[in-house]
Amino acid sequence: MSVLEFVANGLVFSSIIVLASIGLSLVYSIADFANFAHGDTMTVGAYAALVTFGTVGTLGGTVLGLPYGFFVALLAGTLVAALVAVITHKVIYEPVDIGSIGLLITSIGVAFVYRSVIRMGFGADFTEFGIQVLRPIEALLPYGVRVTEHDVAIVVSAVVLVAALHVVLQYTDLGRKMRATADNPDLARVSGIRTNRIEIWTWIIGAGLAGAGGGFLGLFNQLSPRMGFDILLVVFAAVILGGIGSVYGAMLGGVLIGMINQMMPLISNFGQYAPLVPNEWGIPIGIEYANAVAFVIMVVVLLARPNGIMGESAT
Amino acid sequence: MTETDARPSVTSDPRGYWAALTGAERGVAAFVAAMLVLLLWGLVSGGLGPTYFMYLVGLVGMYILLSFGLNVQWGYAGLINFSVAAFFGLGAYGTALLTATSSPLTGGMDPILGFFPVPIVGIFVGLGLAAVLAVVIGIPTLRLRADYLAIASLGLAEVVRLVMLNQRDWTNGSAGLRGIPGFFDVWPVIGDLPQTLPELRFQELEVGLPGVWTTRILGFTIGESFWSQTMNVLLVTVFVAVTYLVLRRVHQSPWGRVLRTIRSDEDLAEALGKDTYSLKMQSFVLGSVIMALAGVFYAHLNLFVSPGDLNPINTFYVWIAVILGGSGSNRGAMFGGFVIIAIQEGTRFIGGALPESLPIDMPSFLGFVESTYTTVVDNFASTRLLAVGIIIILVMRYRPEGVLPPQRELIWPSAARTADVSGGVVTGSQVDDSPGPDDEGQRAHDGVEDTVHDADDATDDVESTGGTDAADGNQPDGGTDATDGADANAGDDATRGGDDDE
Repeated sequence: MSVLEFVANGLVFSSIIVLASIGLSLVYSIADFANFAHGDTMTVGAYAALVTFGTVGTLGGTVLGLPYGFFVALLAGTLVAALVAVITHKVIYEPVDIGSIGLLITSIGVAFVYRSVIRMGFGADFTEFGIQVLRPIEALLPYGVRVTEHDVAIVVSAVVLVAALHVVLQYTDLGRKMRATADNPDLARVSGIRTNRIEIWTWIIGAGLAGAGGGFLGLFNQLSPRMGFDILLVVFAAVILGGIGSVYGAMLGGVLIGMINQMMPLISNFGQYAPLVPNEWGIPIGIEYANAVAFVIMVVVLLARPNGIMGESAT
Repeated sequence: MTETDARPSVTSDPRGYWAALTGAERGVAAFVAAMLVLLLWGLVSGGLGPTYFMYLVGLVGMYILLSFGLNVQWGYAGLINFSVAAFFGLGAYGTALLTATSSPLTGGMDPILGFFPVPIVGIFVGLGLAAVLAVVIGIPTLRLRADYLAIASLGLAEVVRLVMLNQRDWTNGSAGLRGIPGFFDVWPVIGDLPQTLPELRFQELEVGLPGVWTTRILGFTIGESFWSQTMNVLLVTVFVAVTYLVLRRVHQSPWGRVLRTIRSDEDLAEALGKDTYSLKMQSFVLGSVIMALAGVFYAHLNLFVSPGDLNPINTFYVWIAVILGGSGSNRGAMFGGFVIIAIQEGTRFIGGALPESLPIDMPSFLGFVESTYTTVVDNFASTRLLAVGIIIILVMRYRPEGVLPPQRELIWPSAARTADVSGGVVTGSQVDDSPGPDDEGQRAHDGVEDTVHDADDATDDVESTGGTDAADGNQPDGGTDATDGADANAGDDATRGGDDDE
């Protein structure tokens, strides 16, 4: 495998992590707690997409190797994830008054409820969307890059979503209010911003992106009730790396963590890829430790820069 | 259950004892009693084999130990540790690697090292590993915000699990370690006890009203396996008792007071010149070592450990036990241990008892009901996760201070006695606290001598526990918590005692 291919795989995985980490970071800064149910929100989105895809079918034509029906399913997954998150917010998070740590513990309970309900309905096994696996794109093979059109679709969709979020955050009224609320909720409130509405929008956007990310994750790997929880810590690593509360930091952290995750073979076989060093060089660590490396990087970053690479100077 | 001497004792005055309990305490006592009755009924009716019964009792003890450990971290010092399963697993693997016949490191080692049976050495190995890991995790995370510790500890627990899963040449990987001896098996003399104890045969009996309803009870034999499980139960009882006494002593000491101060207001503790980092590290290590002790016991109880024992769900079982029981309350932690077994065994029992498909025929347009039912029953193990999730949510929503929040436990017994004499009511929610005349006399007698000193101590308590609760340590504005109320209650009464004496 060429280095370029690792980069390409890294980009695909990063796209998914970025979608998830933006949502987590938004909720972290506006609802003010570490939402451990975020990963399972992704699972909810993925399974909602699975059900929808099974219902609507392919709907005829395809874009980038993906049937139209899949995009409808993805939209449904996004909406369901957002809806579930808003209901959870209204029913569970809003009525409790126990501070950010209490909410954190509550969110674990929420995560378990999501996961167990999904497991009861669909079983604990892996499933798939059942979309035909494509051959790698011919034009890129000479460069040693084996990516399918599905991978391209994931990256393009993620870029579109992230760009849309950027526009919303920077140029719309809602975005300004969200940034104001994240910055200083009390000041935002006395300035006449209805912060509770902003919170609901935060949940809609954050969980919606997570739902889309979950759908893509199901396409990239497989679906299982544990998929979201398993990736949650990687997403947390991305958010912490970028700096909690910074959406753009979360994007950067997501790209970095996603890249590192997929480039593990580069680390263990460093010598084979780098010029001028003996082939045997490298840190002997298997790809099964990809997640572990992400956590360790997260802890190291916490040690050196507790506020992340793009975090605010003060907590 | 522990009571300070101020209360009527359960043996000499059971009615007064019952009257002095708060509503929650009565509920808990009733729950524990019901659990015990259920377990005993299972034993007597033959639904639960006697060996399995003892195994369950051992598991309750194990969860109590785990809850004690988490209580030291979360309950005393407010540290969110989501790596309970990692410390537990390290304890289990520590002793298993040393003693298991399938251990890649020491398989087939002589079971007696010098004078010591290997399991004794295993305790030290397991506890040592956990202590080292605790320091390694603590160094980067204990200085940070509380929620970072939560994330980092969950991540590092995952790292530990991955290591156990993937380092096959050390740990046997996903196959796990088999052939672990029971804790006492290799001991001289004691190890042979289960074989030498007599085999008891309980004749089957038919009870009930003949002709109306009868059931068969008993009719089982207790033999070697039962006796060795009994010895395990004795072992865990010793572990729990020793840990409980140590923790109670520690909790009431100045060290425990500073930790509670840190939990409620870390800045205050720092301003008072306390080295909060070092104190937090001490409680983190202490708690982790207790969890590892539970792991050591588990390895010798279950005789098999695998990376599955390090799954995050095990961490959250213990969390339920602690937050449900009442953070910082060791009595609550004991109650929590029972609840976990109730969840695990209850879901297993219900899942096994439910019929495969709906017993009534549904009209065809309701077919989805039928199919939903079948999938739910097929995946009934998921209800365990569901129960865990719902309990967490409900506790945080309706009773974040837990069922048995620490009240009297925070006060020196003698100070509580003094407070009783002069202030009357000790626990805020107590309805009726009219002590009988004999108690009064005894308490007055006990209380006088060390009143002044203890009253001072108790007043300290007020200062340290009356602040904001650790649950919102990051939010200076969120000081209204139910735990607060409980703490303040305990404190208030202590003050009252102190004031009156002056």
